[in-house]
Amino acid sequence: MNIITCYKIVPEEQDIVVLPDRSLSFARAEWKIGQYDLNAIEAGMQIVEAAGGKVSALSVGDKQLENSKLKKGVLSRGPEDLYLVMDEQLENSDTFLTAQVLTAAIRKIGEFDLVICGEGSSDLYAQQVGAQLGEMLNIPTINGISKITPEGNKIIAERTLGNEIEVLEISLPAVVSVTTDINLPRIPSMKNILAAGKKPIIEWDLSAVGLQGVTKQTEVISTLAPENVERKKVIFEGESEEVIQKLFESIRKELL
Amino acid sequence: MDFRLTEEQELLLESLREIMARDCTEEYMKECNEKGEYPTRFINALSENGFGLLGVPEEHDGTPVDTMTMMLVAEEITKNGGPHFAFGQALSIVDMLEFGSEEQIADTMRAVKAGEVAFVLGFTEPQAGSDSSAIATTYTRKNGKVYINGHKTFMSNALRAPYMLCMARNADDAGNPDKMNAFSMWWVPMSAPGIKVERLHKIGWHMMDTCEVYLENVEIEEKDLVGVEGNGFKQVLINFEVERLLMAASVLGMAECAFEDAARYANQRVQFGKPIGTFQLIQEKITYMKIKIENMRNMVYRCAWEIDNKMPVQISSALAKLYCAQSSFEVIDDAMQIMGGIGYTTDTRISRLWLDSRVFRIGGGTDEVMIHAAGRAILKQYK
Repeated sequence: MNIITCYKIVPEEQDIVVLPDRSLSFARAEWKIGQYDLNAIEAGMQIVEAAGGKVSALSVGDKQLENSKLKKGVLSRGPEDLYLVMDEQLENSDTFLTAQVLTAAIRKIGEFDLVICGEGSSDLYAQQVGAQLGEMLNIPTINGISKITPEGNKIIAERTLGNEIEVLEISLPAVVSVTTDINLPRIPSMKNILAAGKKPIIEWDLSAVGLQGVTKQTEVISTLAPENVERKKVIFEGESEEVIQKLFESIRKELL
Repeated sequence: MDFRLTEEQELLLESLREIMARDCTEEYMKECNEKGEYPTRFINALSENGFGLLGVPEEHDGTPVDTMTMMLVAEEITKNGGPHFAFGQALSIVDMLEFGSEEQIADTMRAVKAGEVAFVLGFTEPQAGSDSSAIATTYTRKNGKVYINGHKTFMSNALRAPYMLCMARNADDAGNPDKMNAFSMWWVPMSAPGIKVERLHKIGWHMMDTCEVYLENVEIEEKDLVGVEGNGFKQVLINFEVERLLMAASVLGMAECAFEDAARYANQRVQFGKPIGTFQLIQEKITYMKIKIENMRNMVYRCAWEIDNKMPVQISSALAKLYCAQSSFEVIDDAMQIMGGIGYTTDTRISRLWLDSRVFRIGGGTDEVMIHAAGRAILKQYK
């Protein structure tokens, strides 16, 4: 099975600084592979280990993707090769543009059976790219997947809906987005890390995937951290129903 | 000079931190320490992710790396509050891989691959601590067999290791004044009849057993000789400088661990209406602690670099071990002073680090032996 796993480079959450005007600074942030995308890569690896085939990794974005440690980092998690579409135009790309570029890149890569995305990106978590990508590729698209079992030219996938588990038979090719419950991503050993440096990396810009001049359709006007709120300093003592009810009421009042 | 780590080293340390976040939490360390239990979960996690075979030659299915990388891993483990003995077996098995028979190497690698300790290093005896030449354990040949008799002490991992690499002298040659050629190494199964193991009670390193081992007419075979008869000491000496440096790297990490806890605490803890970090007496401590850590790190990294560049490290490895063992204990002691009463309780890991770090001035060559090793060699350079 030929699998393409998509990932996004995101800033390390702990390094994001809230400035006095409530805007966010990424100036001192280390960049890393999105946490949920690690589950997608691991899901791909487990499928090919069970059923044979090959995993390729794919990301689109701006110059952050040039970071060679991050390239090795992705490849050390298992994929055999790495495709990158890098372009200044893709700085702070919206989900539509991202899906558009991924679509073009996947078409250029050629044959594939399954595209796996993380449930959402670790920074904005819009959860849109997987669904839009499937639509643009015009193939079956399912999100919220917590288990995948390969079976011939289809996959059996599960997703958890409240107390129920929905079992789906998905014909291939398809795009799925996986949840963090699906697996615990493997940790690369030195052997994996050293091998990663020798794997092929294919780099394209927008014109190479036939999308010269595309721009994003949305513009983020501002992103602000929530305002600091003074602590209420109200203490409820006791464990009785009455006290709990009081606590509940006052929280409700604040929220409404 | 380039102080940057390679991307591969950075990624390896990231992997290590990921493993430790999963399987070497402070909660787990505290539990193992209190119960005197071996941190099996963490050791297994390291092994499963290839750290047990890091630094082991490729022909034994390992991933060879340079000395610097080995030291970085050792430092990172203790820096995150982990146990120093969890890593570095690749260095202690060098003697076996070099001098061991095919069967002995297979025994060793079987354990290493399973993440287990391969052997007890059977050198120290009650009357032979720093003075290894006083080793009194003997081997005697009788009816085609070999019999070992003696008493070893401070034997790390004697309760779990399947073999002892036992240093013994020929009983028929007991009066031999030639110290260098008097000893041979034997590969002794710890399950052999005649071996009695008794656990010692220490003030620290509760997670790892340290034992007395009594060997009484322990029967082994000729094939259990390791390397060449009479070459025991020479065989030991092939790798001891790197092992010395490994201890320096581990104890450096312990100092960093204590330092970071203390620095965070100094920013938080309020006395007289302000964080104690605003008092100059605390700032003075923090500053000198930091200087010591920088010095330790520079000595460890530089010595590792010298080893990787095939330069002699007779002096620099002894200096690094001596300085790191002493300074680390000083840094951890100051960290405890900054933490105050809470640092003396078992609620914080400072108390554990304080107890665990002290032995580095004794084990693996005492401070005094390091001075003996370095002092003469330094003076010789000016003759």
